[in-house]
Amino acid sequence: MALDADVVRLRRGDLNALSELITQYQNRLYRYLLRIVREPAEAEDLFQQTWLRVVEKIRSFDASRNFDAWLFTLARNLAIDHLRRIRPESLDEPLANSRHSENVADRISSKDHSPLDHALAAERRTEISQAMAGLPMIYREALTLRFEDEMKIEEIAQVTAVPVSTAKSRLRRSLEQLRDALEARYPGGTWQ
Amino acid sequence: MNEHDKIRELLALAAAGALTSAEEKQVAEHVRSCIACSNKLEAWRPIASELRRLPTPQPSSWLAQATLARAEAKLTEQAEHDWNRRLMIVVVAFAWVLTIASWAVFHVVSERFERLLGPQFSHTFFSQTLFSQRWISFAAFTALEWIAGGVAAVMLAIRQRGEGRLV
Repeated sequence: MALDADVVRLRRGDLNALSELITQYQNRLYRYLLRIVREPAEAEDLFQQTWLRVVEKIRSFDASRNFDAWLFTLARNLAIDHLRRIRPESLDEPLANSRHSENVADRISSKDHSPLDHALAAERRTEISQAMAGLPMIYREALTLRFEDEMKIEEIAQVTAVPVSTAKSRLRRSLEQLRDALEARYPGGTWQ
Repeated sequence: MNEHDKIRELLALAAAGALTSAEEKQVAEHVRSCIACSNKLEAWRPIASELRRLPTPQPSSWLAQATLARAEAKLTEQAEHDWNRRLMIVVVAFAWVLTIASWAVFHVVSERFERLLGPQFSHTFFSQTLFSQRWISFAAFTALEWIAGGVAAVMLAIRQRGEGRLV
């Protein structure tokens, strides 16, 4: 409701509403852009461009639509245009040299909660993050939208402009590729 | 593809919580009786769980403020653009009203002027071209007015753009 009110106020040119929306979406939008472009400076620049595009297009935004999906679609289009211009190969190719040499075979179960376990859990997430960064763009995107932004499949389909069935199969393939990448780094499921 | 293979394809999505309720039910029923699929599903769960708990990268602290400043400039520019457009519509409408009104004035004035000059004048060549064909002279006059207005508007726009670049 508050979000809808902010969007309505922004349509009238209210700068405070924009400030509230930026604050509200700051982390999510930045994270999404970072997962796509993988470079913090580029993600920050795209973050600014996305909000400028929001200001430019907010009057044509259909209030009955989902603002989240609209915002992420704008961000996605800008990010893809940027990648096409700067690094066209990065849209399809996995990140080169993304194999990690560290062995984590001696990790203990994540059910324990000692400081050491916390440190290991954090490291495990870093491993997953790195493995995810090595996936092609469409798979990184599917994973971040589903698991980090907690979007439903229908919303992911809307943001990525594909049918729901395609969004589903992309998500499945992204998980399979992530698992393969983790297994390649740590044979026998030792990353766990 | 048999039932078992179909369910295997759904296991990753089941761990991701991306199945419909009918699919979820189907998977739940199948894994109850299939140890291989049950193990597969269990193997997916830690990946899904860790993905949900990935640390959120933090943007630079200045990012929100910088974005807001740029957006404010954009909003101001847009408001100015809207104002200019509205002003242009009013000016154009006013120019049309003036043009139409000036036609009536021109008509009355030229008739009076013709009458003033006397009946012998209305048979001359000058009178026939200028007053009998009033509408042609008026159209030419109006066209000249609009062309001059257009040229002035273009020159102003070029100058404004030049000034904008200098700033």
